[in-house]
Amino acid sequence: MMKSTRVGPLAVIIIALAAASLGTSTARMQGERSLAGEWIVSSTPINGQMASPKGVSLGFPDRDMVFEQQGDLRTGVVLREDVGQDVRPLGVWRIDGDQFSTTFQLWCPDTNGPCGSIVMRGQFVRDDKISGTMTAFFDVSDERTPTGYDTWTFSFVGRRVAGGSN
Amino acid sequence: MKSPASPSRKRLLLALAAVALLLITTPSVLGGNELKGRWTLRITIPEAPESTTTRTFLVTLEVAPRGESLHGRANLTDEAGRTVGAAWRQVGKRISIAYELPCPGDGPCASLILQGRVKGGGVLIKKGSVIVMWDTTNNRNPALYDTSNGSFRGDRIVE
Repeated sequence: MMKSTRVGPLAVIIIALAAASLGTSTARMQGERSLAGEWIVSSTPINGQMASPKGVSLGFPDRDMVFEQQGDLRTGVVLREDVGQDVRPLGVWRIDGDQFSTTFQLWCPDTNGPCGSIVMRGQFVRDDKISGTMTAFFDVSDERTPTGYDTWTFSFVGRRVAGGSN
Repeated sequence: MKSPASPSRKRLLLALAAVALLLITTPSVLGGNELKGRWTLRITIPEAPESTTTRTFLVTLEVAPRGESLHGRANLTDEAGRTVGAAWRQVGKRISIAYELPCPGDGPCASLILQGRVKGGGVLIKKGSVIVMWDTTNNRNPALYDTSNGSFRGDRIVE
C-alpha cells in the first residue's frame, strides 16, 4: 500500500512530463516551416501598374527561386538561365512560424540604368504553396514616398517544385 | 668607374620607393573600391516603426569576392555574435547591401537595405543610407509595410 502511494505521484509526474514534451514537439512540428528548396514564384503588380511611379519596370513575372539553409545562414538565388548562366540574382531570408521575409538584389547589367532591391513578405498557404506581397525599392529618388525611393508593389504566389534544387 | 648618385637623384629614388611602398600596402590597391573584405558597419535606425528614438549598433561584415558576377554574398555578425547572410551589389563606388535583421526577441523585426559609396581609396563608407522595411503592415505606405530611414558608416578592417 505504501509502495503504491509513492509510485502514484511519480507516475503522474512522468505522464505529465511526457505529455508536455509531446505537446511541445507537436507545436514545433506544426509551427516550423522552411523555404529551403525550389519555388516558382509568379508576381502581379498591385492595382495593375505596369511600371513603378518613376517608370522603372522589372521585366519578367515568373521567377525560379532556390532557397538554402546552412545553420543560421539562409540564402536564396533566382535562376535566370534563360538569360545567361552567370545571371544569378542573390538574396537572403528569415522565417518565423509560417511567416517569412526574403530580400533580394536586382540584377542590373546596364550600369547606366536604375537598379534596386526587392523585399518579399509572405506566409505559407500549405507546405508547398506560399503567397504574399513583394516591394521593389529602386535607386531612384521619389519624394512622395516615406523612404524617398521609388517604390512598386506586387502580390505573389509561389509553388514548390517537387524534387527541385535544395 | 661608377659615379656616385647626385643628392637630387637620391631624393627621387627615395620618393619612388616611398610611392611603391604606399601602393603595395594600401588596401585600395589590393581591393580597389571593391567591397570585398572585412568591414565594421555602424548602423543607426529607429527602435521601432514610427519611433523617434534611434538605436545604433555595430556589425562586422565579411564580404566574399563576387568574381565576374554583378552580385556577391556576405556574412554579417552582430554584437551578440549572431551571424546572418547578406547579398550585395556594386557599380563603381556605389554599393548596396541587403540583409534580414536577426530578431530573437518579441520586438519588431525588419529587412535592411544599405546604400552608400566606397571612399577613401576603398577603406571608408561615409554617410550611407538605410531603408528599413518593418514587419508591420501599413496600407497607407506605398511599400504596404511600415518603413523608416536610417544611416550607416563603414570602416574597412585592415589586417
